[in-house]
Amino acid sequence: MVADPSSDQAALEAGISAAIVRCAAGERSALRVIYDLEAARMVGVAMRILRRRDLAEEATHDAFMRIWRSARSFDPSRGSARAWIYTIVRNQALTIVRDEGRFGPDEPADREIPEPSSALARLPESSALRHCLEKLDPGRRSAIVLAYVHGFSHGELAGRLGVPLGTIKSWIRRGLVSLQECLG
Amino acid sequence: MTTDRDDRIHAAEFVLGLLAPETHAAAERRLASDPAFAREVAAWQKHFAAFDDTADPVVPSEELWRRIEAGMGTAVAAPSAAPAGLLPRFWNSLGALRIAALSGLTAALALAVVTTVTVRHAQEVAARKPLYVAILVDDATRQAGAIVNAFADGRVEMIPLVDMTVPAGRSLQVWTLWNREVGPRSVGLLDRARATPLDLERLPTTTADQLFEITLEPAGGSPTGRPTGPILYKGTTARTL
Repeated sequence: MVADPSSDQAALEAGISAAIVRCAAGERSALRVIYDLEAARMVGVAMRILRRRDLAEEATHDAFMRIWRSARSFDPSRGSARAWIYTIVRNQALTIVRDEGRFGPDEPADREIPEPSSALARLPESSALRHCLEKLDPGRRSAIVLAYVHGFSHGELAGRLGVPLGTIKSWIRRGLVSLQECLG
Repeated sequence: MTTDRDDRIHAAEFVLGLLAPETHAAAERRLASDPAFAREVAAWQKHFAAFDDTADPVVPSEELWRRIEAGMGTAVAAPSAAPAGLLPRFWNSLGALRIAALSGLTAALALAVVTTVTVRHAQEVAARKPLYVAILVDDATRQAGAIVNAFADGRVEMIPLVDMTVPAGRSLQVWTLWNREVGPRSVGLLDRARATPLDLERLPTTTADQLFEITLEPAGGSPTGRPTGPILYKGTTARTL
């Protein structure tokens, strides 16, 4: 049982949850606890969206400032602690990517384009999300994965997948409806 | 039903980050006022969070923590200490600690018990503010079982939050560990869960990150002077504001 990954996850979740509460009490060392446990993964999540390490660290910095300031608003009854901090870092990364423009003049558009299937393949075999995404039409699946994992906007998805904007919007919506039904 | 479904999809698009900035901001505000929508959002966040763990970790530069640490000084997390603010602040953190420690599924029933107990204690505890607090948690269920408060004058007390089952012929024994070389020291022995002062008079002053744990031992206490039974609850001290 000790090696059971789900119990590791539960322990990590509880540790982060407790640390956020300590942050809410103004305890600086608690933020360091979160940093030690999650910062590298947070930079990794931001990197997938921003594709530049300096910007990914910037997003992670902004996320920690927000965690510190908003720790009191964290409500464990509403969702998991780790989901809360990753939502924050994703949002900070999305803010930066929307502000900077992904394909600015200094960044050639032909630079390595993320492959949606790789993140999907990394989900555990047992993952309900993986199982349900795999049941979607490939276009809908790619659009949803690229939006979440790489932070693509509707416009960027249209360009990347080579279909009109209206089609992308409908793929996403229909894909989400199917996903919702499958995830229950 | 269509409205429900539209809301659900709207919540998913919000989580994906696909809403236009003004719509996104409106959805964010709605989280605070519309619990049903907030639940939809939390459910999608939980589903998609599986992707976060698939990111390769990227070890940040040394500089990152220094900048965060510097930023903490200007971004004050909690209001400044004022006597009037003490009770609500402590109550907030206690309430949140309680919920955090319970983390999720096990909560509903235990919460009712814990709430009753902590409401009763919150006022008197807050009236004489401890320097350090430890929440002792069951490792397996993540349920909070007790609080240890350490005061400036050296007094330390343990307040149970749940009714621990003590079989006949067994006792609850409370231990603290502040130095691995010295090992755990017994600071209390109980026949059942009840609020009790702990005896740390002959031990060094309680500090941050000091471990407290409750084990199940033979009646009269561990025969070896060291914990021998299962650990029921454990936790480390954190400094209060």
